[in-house]
Amino acid sequence: MSLRTFAPSSDERVIAGVCAGIAQTLGVDPTLVRLVFALLALAGGAGILLYLALWAWTAGKRVWVAALLAFVSGVALLGALGLSDRAVLGIALIAGGLALAWRQGGSFHPDAPLSYGGIGLAALGTVVLLSGGGTSSALLAPGAVAGALLLIGGPWVWRLALERDVERTARIRSEERSDVAARVHDSVLQTLALIQRHANEPRRVASLARRQERELRGWLYADQPLGDDSASLLAALAAAAGDVEELHGVRVELASAGDCRVDPPVSALVLAAREAMTNAAKFAGVDEIDVYAEVTEDVVSVFVRDRGAGFDRTRVKKTRRGLVESIEGRMERVGGSSSIVSSPGNGTEVELRVPRSAT
Amino acid sequence: MKRRVVLVDDHDLFLAGVRAELGEAVEVVGQAGSVAEAVPLIKELDPEVVLLDVHLPDGSGDAIINAVAADRPGVRFLALSVSDAAEDVIAVIRAGARGYVTKTISGAELAAAIERVATGDAVFSPRLAGFVLDAFRPGDQVTGDAELDELTPREREVLQLIARGYMYKEIAARLHLSVKTVESHVSNVLRKLQLSTRHELARWATQHRLV
Repeated sequence: MSLRTFAPSSDERVIAGVCAGIAQTLGVDPTLVRLVFALLALAGGAGILLYLALWAWTAGKRVWVAALLAFVSGVALLGALGLSDRAVLGIALIAGGLALAWRQGGSFHPDAPLSYGGIGLAALGTVVLLSGGGTSSALLAPGAVAGALLLIGGPWVWRLALERDVERTARIRSEERSDVAARVHDSVLQTLALIQRHANEPRRVASLARRQERELRGWLYADQPLGDDSASLLAALAAAAGDVEELHGVRVELASAGDCRVDPPVSALVLAAREAMTNAAKFAGVDEIDVYAEVTEDVVSVFVRDRGAGFDRTRVKKTRRGLVESIEGRMERVGGSSSIVSSPGNGTEVELRVPRSAT
Repeated sequence: MKRRVVLVDDHDLFLAGVRAELGEAVEVVGQAGSVAEAVPLIKELDPEVVLLDVHLPDGSGDAIINAVAADRPGVRFLALSVSDAAEDVIAVIRAGARGYVTKTISGAELAAAIERVATGDAVFSPRLAGFVLDAFRPGDQVTGDAELDELTPREREVLQLIARGYMYKEIAARLHLSVKTVESHVSNVLRKLQLSTRHELARWATQHRLV
C-alpha cells in the first residue's frame, strides 16, 4: 500500500484516527505510532502539529494548510533537538526544496521531470546548514542533521523498497512464464508448425498430433520433463511409441501398471520393445498396436501386441536380424528373456522381460 | 432398438466429431456442455447411457452422476476423457460410472462400449486396466474388507489381458472361459474399484470429497 493513500481509521480511532490509519497502512501496532506521536509532542509540540497536519491533509484535503503545519512542526522539532537557528533554517530549506522536487518528480522515477527550483532550494539549505550548523552544539547537531535527513528521505527509501518488491514478484512471474513458453515452443509450437506444413498428409498429421499429445500429457500429469525421454521406463516407451507412430503412421496404445527408472537392462528392454513395435507396424498390416508395461517387485515386462497377419516362426529366415538380434539377442545379453507368440492370421504378441536390478 | 444416448462435453468440436463417428449406431437424444445443463436434461430425457466428459467448465463429471443417480437409477454413465490423471478417472468411476474410455477411441469401439454399458457390463480401457492393477498390487497392506480390497488371481489375469489389448472374446478364448464369465470378472473388478477402501483409492476419493 502506498504511503500517500493512507486514510484515517474510523474503527480504531481515539482522536481522529490518524495514528490508527498510519498503523494500518504500515502494518504495525497503532500503540507504537501513538507513542511516537506522544514523544514528538514533547519536542516543542511538534507531534501535535504533525497530527493536525496529517488530519488536515486526509480529512479535508487542505494540502497547503497541511504542508504549512508539517513545516512548522518540523521546525519546532529541530529547535527542540537543540539545533541553532541557522541549522534549523538550513534543514527547513532542504526539506522544502526536496518536498517541491518530490511533488514535481512523482515517485522518483528516472524519467519523471525534476524540479530544478526544488533542488536549488535544497542546495541553498545545505550551504546554510554546513556554514553554521556546527556553532551551536558540536555533539548534537550532526546527529540531529542525520535524523532529520532520515525523516525526509525515509519515505522515499520505503517507497523504493516497496517498488522493488513488486518488481521482483513480477520478474519471478515473467521468468516462470518464459520457462513454460520455452517448453511449449520447443514442443507444441514446433509440432503445430510441422502439422501446417504437412496438412495434406493425414497420416503424418495424426502421428504428429499423437506424439505431441503423449509428450504434453507426460509433462502435465506425470511430471515427466518435456522432451526428456530417459526419465523413466514410461517416458522412454512413450518416446519409442511416438517414433514408431511417426515413422510408420500407426497408432500405439500404451498402457501401464507401475513405472521404474531406466538402467541399462531397462534401456535394452525399451529398444527391444521399439523393434517389436516397428516389426508390427511394418509387417502386420494393421493400424493399431497395443503396448503394455508392467513393473512388479522383481521383474519388468513389456507386451507388444497386434491383430495383424502374424507369421510362422519356422519360415523366418535366419538372416532376419530384427527378430533374432534386436529382440532375442538383446534381451539375453542383459539377463532378460523374450517370447514371441504368432501364427498366420492370428496376430503377434511379443513378451519381453528383465529382472529388476538389486538397486 | 438403438440405444438412447446423451452426450455431455463442453467442446463443441469434439461433440460434433463423436456424433459423426457414432453415426447410425446409437440415437443421440440430447447434448449438454456443463453440469448445470446436463443434470435437468438427463432427468428429463432419461436416456440409457450418458457419455460423460470428466472435466466440465462448472464442475467435474462425478457431480452429474451424484445429482442424477438417485432420481434416475436406470441411467448408465460411461466416462470419456482426454485426462489420464488417475484421480480424475477414479473419482468418476467411484461416483458410479460403468467404465472409462479415452477420447482417441474409434467410433466402432465407442459404439461397442456404449452397448456393453447399456446392458450393465463394465468397460475398461487398457489404460484403466493397467491403472487398476497398479492400485491393487498384491502384497500391499490392506486394512479393510479383504474381499473388496484384493483382486482374485483370475481377475488379475483378465485385467492384464485387457491392458495388453485383448478384447473380451479373445480373453475368453485364451483363458478357456465364456465371454459372460469374463464380463462378470470385469464387473466384479468395477465393484471393487467403487467400494474398496484401499489406501490409493481412498486417498483420491477423499481429495475429491466423495466420502
